[in-house]
Amino acid sequence: MPKCMIDGKEVEFTAGENLVKVAKRAGVEIPVFCYHPGLSVVAQCRMCYVEVEKMPKLQTACSTMATEGMVVKTNSENVKKGRAGTMEFLLLNHPLDCPICDKAGECDLQDNSYGYGSAYMRGSEERRTYVDVNMGPVIQKNMNRCIHCTRCIRFGDEIAGIHEMVAIKRGNDIDITTIDGKTLQTEYAGNYSDICPTGSLTLKDFRFKKRAWMLKKTTTVCEGCSKGCNMEIQHEGDVIYRCVPLENLDVNRYWMCDEGRFNYQHTQDPTRIIEPKVKAEGGWKTISWEDGILGIKEEIDGQKPTFLVGSDLTQEELTHIKEYIALQHPGATIQHFGTPGLTSTQQDGALDQILRMKSKTSNLNGAEKLGIAPLMNDTIKADTVVVMSAGRAKLPKINAKRVIAVGVYLEGDASQFDMILPGLAFSEKDGTIVNHQGIEQKLKRAVLPRGKCKSLSEVLMLLTNKKARVGANP
Amino acid sequence: MLAQRKPGILNRFYLIEIVRGLWITLRNFLFHEKVTLQFPEQRRDYSPRYRGQHYIKTVNEVENCTACMLCPTVCPAECIHIVAGEREDKEKYPIKFEIDILRCCFCGMCEEACPKDAIKLSNIYEMSQEHREVYTKDFLLEQRGNKK
Repeated sequence: MPKCMIDGKEVEFTAGENLVKVAKRAGVEIPVFCYHPGLSVVAQCRMCYVEVEKMPKLQTACSTMATEGMVVKTNSENVKKGRAGTMEFLLLNHPLDCPICDKAGECDLQDNSYGYGSAYMRGSEERRTYVDVNMGPVIQKNMNRCIHCTRCIRFGDEIAGIHEMVAIKRGNDIDITTIDGKTLQTEYAGNYSDICPTGSLTLKDFRFKKRAWMLKKTTTVCEGCSKGCNMEIQHEGDVIYRCVPLENLDVNRYWMCDEGRFNYQHTQDPTRIIEPKVKAEGGWKTISWEDGILGIKEEIDGQKPTFLVGSDLTQEELTHIKEYIALQHPGATIQHFGTPGLTSTQQDGALDQILRMKSKTSNLNGAEKLGIAPLMNDTIKADTVVVMSAGRAKLPKINAKRVIAVGVYLEGDASQFDMILPGLAFSEKDGTIVNHQGIEQKLKRAVLPRGKCKSLSEVLMLLTNKKARVGANP
Repeated sequence: MLAQRKPGILNRFYLIEIVRGLWITLRNFLFHEKVTLQFPEQRRDYSPRYRGQHYIKTVNEVENCTACMLCPTVCPAECIHIVAGEREDKEKYPIKFEIDILRCCFCGMCEEACPKDAIKLSNIYEMSQEHREVYTKDFLLEQRGNKK
């Protein structure tokens, strides 16, 4: 393999790798704004200056490919001067908004200014200001903070497939905006906020909710569709504030769709049923867990109810359900449901050319691997039906005398049920899900269960016991 | 072991020592300036750096605070609770700004961290209450003990 020297360290590289990537492997951080590993290289922020031996001027590391025997200095006096000059230019018009800005704490401009810029400003001119256009329900724009890295324009062109962001006017009047001031059309608009190196494009959903440094981070997997995008749940005090994608080149690369990004909201919906409930005259009656478990046992013990399991449950939960049925109700039918009109992984496919899949549940592949039959026609007719799902699977039409539900349901979904035991949502449990490629990925608990929710495995354990002895919550 | 000194007969009587001690008391009582104050009527001037009761500085009746959350971040007692919001004349402002004064240790780090010169500790040191109350935003916005 060819080798080059970066700051005195010898690094191997493959042909065509740029210096930012090679330096990162050598443990040398080169500051960047416009460069993003998932986007094309434009080298227009001029922040990644490095000195290459035998080249007369400073080179931009993002657009310079490593070559055999190249000697690179990333920390020489010349480089430091170049970076400081770039920082000074970038900050000429950047407002001192950090106390207000949602990006503060995870802002590239803040970090690089602190690391490579000057603490003082020489200019005294007024900063230029803009009137911002409405960018739609996802993104809040603040053009004053923009440093014209054009990451958003390139993201739209190259990843989202919509050329909707443009740079109009030139020079000092440059304005990064949507064509004709329209709202954003793409289903991947949240990524604009992730890739923006400043607080110019921020999430409306997260606006002023928390500062970035206050959030705890849990690495998990999105349950929005069978793609299984890697993401980070950012939460504090058992409240989820936002989800951001994590890099996984095999699955989602660097991106995530808005549906998955805001999917966490249903777990904190005020109408989510978080206590055991039974249908009574004129609405729902809250009951204790003992009563709930005993009530279910009364109805299904010794019988063969039909089990409907959502394909949004984890492998562990589905295995437990299968074992429970084999032990308690041998011969009972078990069918999985999830997306209307989609019964097998063969029918599953890409919804667009980026990430989204047709199957709107995360573990369709896993349910099939466990040999659970799908529910055809999206309607079921049976005597007693037990529905178990984690809130993402779309409920079929149920024609039955008694319907018992375990899992995550909003009050709106619950009209078909006679009894509900609350279960855990994807952010509240550990488990394994298998995505459409057959990659097994781990869900990780980020927050504690809401209300009196119990895990499905615990419910099954209580149902298997002769007496319903319910321990302390949760 | 310490060598024990046997006091003489006069010293054993302690009379001289008692008179000497009482003379110090009498001297301070008669000839020295008094260090105590008649508190409610007379008050001591504190240093302008004294860290007393909190207030949020206002300019033209608009609070300086932009709810940047640096003070709850730096607060070692975790006694500041802020909820940020947006209104027409100000992009970000605190909807709720509460200081749980019973937890506060008056370290003054909030004042030091504040980029907007908003939260300040005044010279007011009389803060006893009959109820366990937190300082609300309305209370903090009253400019009492303003330091300028």
